[in-house]
Amino acid sequence: MTANTLYIDQDRGFQRLNPLTKLVISLFLIILALVLPCMWAGYIVFLLAVVPLALWGGILRPLWSALWKIVLPFAISMFVIQGLFWTGGTPVVALGPFSLKAEGLIFATRITGRLLAIMGSFLLVSLGTAPDDLMISLEQRGVPNSITYIILSTIQLVPGLQARSEKIRDAQRARGLETEGNIIQRTRSMLPLVEPLVLGSIIDVDERAIALEARGFSREGDKTFYRTVEDRRWEQTLRWVLAVSALFLILGRILWPFIGRFLGGG
Amino acid sequence: MERLKKDFTTITFALIVVALAINIVVGTIVFQTKIPFVYLDQIGTVLVGLVAGPWAGLLTGVLTNLLWGLLGNPGYVPYAPIAGVIGLMAGWFGSMGWYKSWWKWLLGGLITGLVAALLSAPITAYLYGGVTGAGTDLLTGMFRATGSSIMEAALGQGLITDLIDKTVSFFVVWLIIKALPTTLLSRFPRSENVLEASDLDLDSVLDQ
Repeated sequence: MTANTLYIDQDRGFQRLNPLTKLVISLFLIILALVLPCMWAGYIVFLLAVVPLALWGGILRPLWSALWKIVLPFAISMFVIQGLFWTGGTPVVALGPFSLKAEGLIFATRITGRLLAIMGSFLLVSLGTAPDDLMISLEQRGVPNSITYIILSTIQLVPGLQARSEKIRDAQRARGLETEGNIIQRTRSMLPLVEPLVLGSIIDVDERAIALEARGFSREGDKTFYRTVEDRRWEQTLRWVLAVSALFLILGRILWPFIGRFLGGG
Repeated sequence: MERLKKDFTTITFALIVVALAINIVVGTIVFQTKIPFVYLDQIGTVLVGLVAGPWAGLLTGVLTNLLWGLLGNPGYVPYAPIAGVIGLMAGWFGSMGWYKSWWKWLLGGLITGLVAALLSAPITAYLYGGVTGAGTDLLTGMFRATGSSIMEAALGQGLITDLIDKTVSFFVVWLIIKALPTTLLSRFPRSENVLEASDLDLDSVLDQ
């Protein structure tokens, strides 16, 4: 059922961690990459935390192949735009009538590193956590089962809808719709593709609701779990430690100018 | 609280599932087709807001962007609150009866686009260095070249894209609702937003 999510099923230590632990680790790394003042902070978090964790889970290769596709377009845009057009920057490399500015390049380097760390941390969770385990542990923490139902059934529904969209495109092409070509042709082809897809799937909503009702979806009271997800003592402790450290990091970041002034004055 | 319970019926949850899948599938198609200035990745969110209320719209928007993360594109996760606001606003405009006049509904789309642009600019500037990694970065470059700050350039780019995208999205939702049968629409908790009183009047339906 998880065919279209990123999750890769493997029996390794990282995968066996409680999903909440992975979520907290990932959020902690994101905060770390955001609050550390150093220009290389993102790269340091990525190399010293994201990469080792990915190696532990045996998911470094898929993580990297997804990650560079996400980060590269941002990096290119940033280096070109902020590098060339930094207002009042110091020119370092001349390119004809333009020049790359030092400040813009430093900015782009810093943000690219941060993106590597942030997107890498997100990918750690989605590559290393079975969505159903994640939902079970969220439910056990009090998230309503209607929310977890929504997420899990959407994951199941997306491939079907994708297949349907391809059928609609083929059918409309057979009737002479131009789905390729210049921007105007592609834009005009959108509505004949989107409308049947959306209408067709919304018509099914009624039946889905009846099927849900027949299975006691809106029944009040406690529900039991068919499966449970392991939550070891040390993982609970680790989550607390990370949450408290994250709080201190954020506080430290906010108070940093005052601390600096105090030290400078003393 | 009472209204909230009435909004979140079983059919609302069934609708949210379909709306999320629509957002993701249509959003992916539009992204791959490389059409400028539109994403169309919140059509389902606007639709849910309109027929199931602002809070259901909010939930749909937030979950859409979180689900993108699980399905392979974590780049949308930081914009989850803004997607939620889009659903919330579509719900408010629906409750104000704006859907019933086409120009008010499109104005609602425009206002939603404005708010979305204002809220997403700080995220784009702070987290993504002011760029989107897509073709619209040409606009960002233009704004930067003419002396705008990173935040101003991100806002300028966002305004142009979001105003167009949200107005088009509201228009597409308008077309979809017009094409849906009254029997189905009347099952949704906020059907009064999209149906005239005469549609719900059994005698007039039987007369037709």
